[in-house]
Amino acid sequence: MGTWSRIRRTFRAGSHHAEIDEELRFHLEMDAADHGARDARLRLGNVARIAEDTRAAGIVEWIESSLRDALYGLRQLRKTPALTVAVIASLAIGIGANSAIFTLIDAAILKPLPVNDPDSLVIVEWTNDGFPPGATNINGDFREIAGGRLQGSSVNANLHRRLAREQHAFAAIAGVADPVNVAIAVGGAQAEQVSAQYVSANFFQGVGAAPIVGRPFDADEDRVGHEPVAIVSHRLWVTRFGSDRSVLDRAVRINNVPVRIVGVAPPGFFGLMAGQWTDVYAPLAARVAFSPPSSTGARSEDDSDWWVRQIARLDPGMTEEASRIALDGLFRGMVVPDGAAIEPSHIPILTTHSGRRGFAALNPRDASALWILLLLVGVLLLIVCANVANLLLSRSVSRQRESAVRLALGASRARLFRQYLIESGLLALAGGAAGVAVGFEFAREIHLLFQTGRDASNAFDLNVDWRTLTYAFALAIGTAVLFGLAPAVRAARSDFGDVLKAQTRSVIGGRLRLPRMLVAIQLALCLAALVAAGLLGRSLANLKWTDIGFDRENLAYASVNPSRAGYSRERIGPFGDRVRGELSRLPGVARVSAVSFRFLAGMGNNGLMNFAGRPLDQGNRANMNSVGEGFFETVGIPLVAGRTIDARDIRQESGAVVVDEMFAKRFFPNESPLGRRFGLGFQNNSQYEIVGVVGNSRYNTLREEMYPTMYEAFRPSGTIHFAIRTTMDPARLREAVRRTIASVDAAVPVTEFHTQSALIDRHLRTERLLGILSGAFGVLALALAAIGLAGLLAYAVARRTNEIGIRMAVGADRADVIRMVLRESLGLCGVGLLLGIPCAYAVARFLRTALFQLEPLDPRTAVFALATLLTVALAAAWIPARRAASIDPIAALRDE
Amino acid sequence: MPKADNLQGALELLVMKILRRGSQHGFAISALIRQSSDEILRVEAGSLYPALHRMTEAGLLKAEWRMSDAGRRARFYELTAKGRRTLEAEEKKWHAVSAAVAKVLRTT
Repeated sequence: MGTWSRIRRTFRAGSHHAEIDEELRFHLEMDAADHGARDARLRLGNVARIAEDTRAAGIVEWIESSLRDALYGLRQLRKTPALTVAVIASLAIGIGANSAIFTLIDAAILKPLPVNDPDSLVIVEWTNDGFPPGATNINGDFREIAGGRLQGSSVNANLHRRLAREQHAFAAIAGVADPVNVAIAVGGAQAEQVSAQYVSANFFQGVGAAPIVGRPFDADEDRVGHEPVAIVSHRLWVTRFGSDRSVLDRAVRINNVPVRIVGVAPPGFFGLMAGQWTDVYAPLAARVAFSPPSSTGARSEDDSDWWVRQIARLDPGMTEEASRIALDGLFRGMVVPDGAAIEPSHIPILTTHSGRRGFAALNPRDASALWILLLLVGVLLLIVCANVANLLLSRSVSRQRESAVRLALGASRARLFRQYLIESGLLALAGGAAGVAVGFEFAREIHLLFQTGRDASNAFDLNVDWRTLTYAFALAIGTAVLFGLAPAVRAARSDFGDVLKAQTRSVIGGRLRLPRMLVAIQLALCLAALVAAGLLGRSLANLKWTDIGFDRENLAYASVNPSRAGYSRERIGPFGDRVRGELSRLPGVARVSAVSFRFLAGMGNNGLMNFAGRPLDQGNRANMNSVGEGFFETVGIPLVAGRTIDARDIRQESGAVVVDEMFAKRFFPNESPLGRRFGLGFQNNSQYEIVGVVGNSRYNTLREEMYPTMYEAFRPSGTIHFAIRTTMDPARLREAVRRTIASVDAAVPVTEFHTQSALIDRHLRTERLLGILSGAFGVLALALAAIGLAGLLAYAVARRTNEIGIRMAVGADRADVIRMVLRESLGLCGVGLLLGIPCAYAVARFLRTALFQLEPLDPRTAVFALATLLTVALAAAWIPARRAASIDPIAALRDE
Repeated sequence: MPKADNLQGALELLVMKILRRGSQHGFAISALIRQSSDEILRVEAGSLYPALHRMTEAGLLKAEWRMSDAGRRARFYELTAKGRRTLEAEEKKWHAVSAAVAKVLRTT
């Protein structure tokens, strides 16, 4: 019998039953004809039981009875709509919060790249003692690792090309640079800024993302001097080219250079880093063509610039280790210039790791923040489970009679157990479905919060896909078992005798041991949530209000890049001066200056200081920034000695620099730094002359110690950030600033406009996310625990009406009764705290890495959490206590 | 008197063997088992009908309503192709097992 007819029969259950009855009747009659009716009936036995057994023979019966149980369950749930809604709503919040955080973690950390066979991709990086031979600038991931070695991810373009061409260790090695912004103009439309990546010619074949229109790059196209070509993202193709297949013939200019489009990347392919959408891909060599024209006219690639990351595809049958060793041998030979004698420890060694998820989207701190959030929503879900279990338990108490009657009529305990679990399952599925919907909205909100101040190229690919659905479904089933087990066991254990006994009211209410335990657990988890919220909130405040050395209010930065509109280096300076003049005439603007690195914007430069007459010391490093005229006055950094950078310094290309107090104290501890000269790097020790000393400030990190900083004159060649001091909310000046800059030259768009406080918020995005969400979860946890506690106490009071009546009749007054209920609440709190303190400590330990100037055992946070919990416990007990106190002893006893 | 349904799998085997000769209704099957075993094996209705339905679910039998010789509507069971194959395999297994059991009983 096929599945279909099985299902069909399930829904025709009535006629199926009739058939079995008829069949048995036929048997009986045949037998009776042979041996007489009475004999036959004796032999056949209980017809109803045989019919039941016969029906149960197939899976049909199982499905059918489950369906019947489910329908019965639905009817039961409809009988108590308020309870059903409360349960589904709490589950929707619990599961929604969890699936939201999971969606984010999945998109940012877990999901494999949307390419063919992501598992065989391997990221190739290197480690070395110091800079590799010939390298002076290293882009991409670049950091110091254990043992003082450097870990880098990029090589120069020619090294990459040679390696990719000559190697046989991998099926292919592709190169890709970190994204840069370019201006793209389609047809006659105004240029707009999009994110672009320079890639090797074999990039699309290598990573397994075949263009859906056109073709991948040709090997010849990655050659300086070749006509610039580009492949656009599917997203850009849809939004800017109207999904038109004739895109390949469209006239497009990138950074004002005519470009031919040769292909469209597949839909959903965002590049190799989650959260970073690339809209334009161009060959590595096109970087030269798209760079601003320089006066020297030299247009070639610079081999001292290491900027190309590498990702390889494993040959089937080769291990990652064997391939890495084979490639390393080739690489070490190539990286040493011919005939040069280099100490082996200064030759980089290749390392590899899985490229399944592409390049890491989040730094370890951001990633751990998301895991912390998952822990917190997990705690929240447990509180929800305890709450729902208690609600259902209270219902199962009132349904005990029904259970006992069904048992007495012959239902098996297993069946009753299943009935309750099916009801819990229905609730969990409804809650889970609502949770997925709530969770997706919630994920989008969190994503917005996480991406504050970032543009359209920074977005994680959030989807309700089968991964999120599976996760939510698994959570729903898990919670159903968690919260459904206790009521189901209770129902299956019910005893007709007990129920009859329960009909006669006892003077002292039952002990409610299980519900009490559940509420205590809720309070314990709530304590952990409160401690987490307190620690993270305080940590955020510590960071946010740490002294930054300048005035963060009423300060904004507007950014332009005239070189992308074809400005030569010589014309950029005068353009900047004109914009500055126009901006300072705007109403609401007090001062305007220019700077190369905005404060706390995530970018910076750091150099090795070389002082005449002192040995070169790797520790003598300082942050470097370049500032325009009037910068310190504009941002509000006080001048301590000497003078600041002025227009003359900028025009004359003098070596005048200003240093901050830390710099002065560190490098000239016992003398005036004014007039002293120093240089940068190995060659030069007198390039700069110190003309002034200013106050210390935060350059690009709030977490670490302040660092010495030097400021030189700003002579812009690319991006200019105008620092704007306003007399009003600077966010409201955005449009006026954009118009003013367009009035100077409409071809130069404003690429960014941020207030300083928005930049700080962006800098603190992880901490803000943790602080805000843990606070929200703390409040939710507290509300749920309070509802659970109040509900339990109200129920306990209702059951003890008689007892309280008697107590009052024999002389207890209202205050005594109120005290009695409050004492009970505090007792539960006590148990909750006993359980909760170790939980809270464990959670706090887990948060340690996310805390700033705060210990996990912060006493103020602990006191805050305990006080909040106790206050809420007493408040939650107040209503039931009042109700208990207003019991009329006469009425209570007459009720008996 | 031994009951055919006490032996694991025996009832199914007997039912299939009976139906090998042609379709029958439940009562006839139980009667035929009784007769062919010289009244030694007896099948309870409480075991037979659940077994018939179980085997139908498993696709070994197919069932349809037809007129019986007595002119009443009865449910007739018939062996499917899968049932035939299963019968052959099970019969072989049964012979092997029963021979083995007999051997053990003889030697010890």
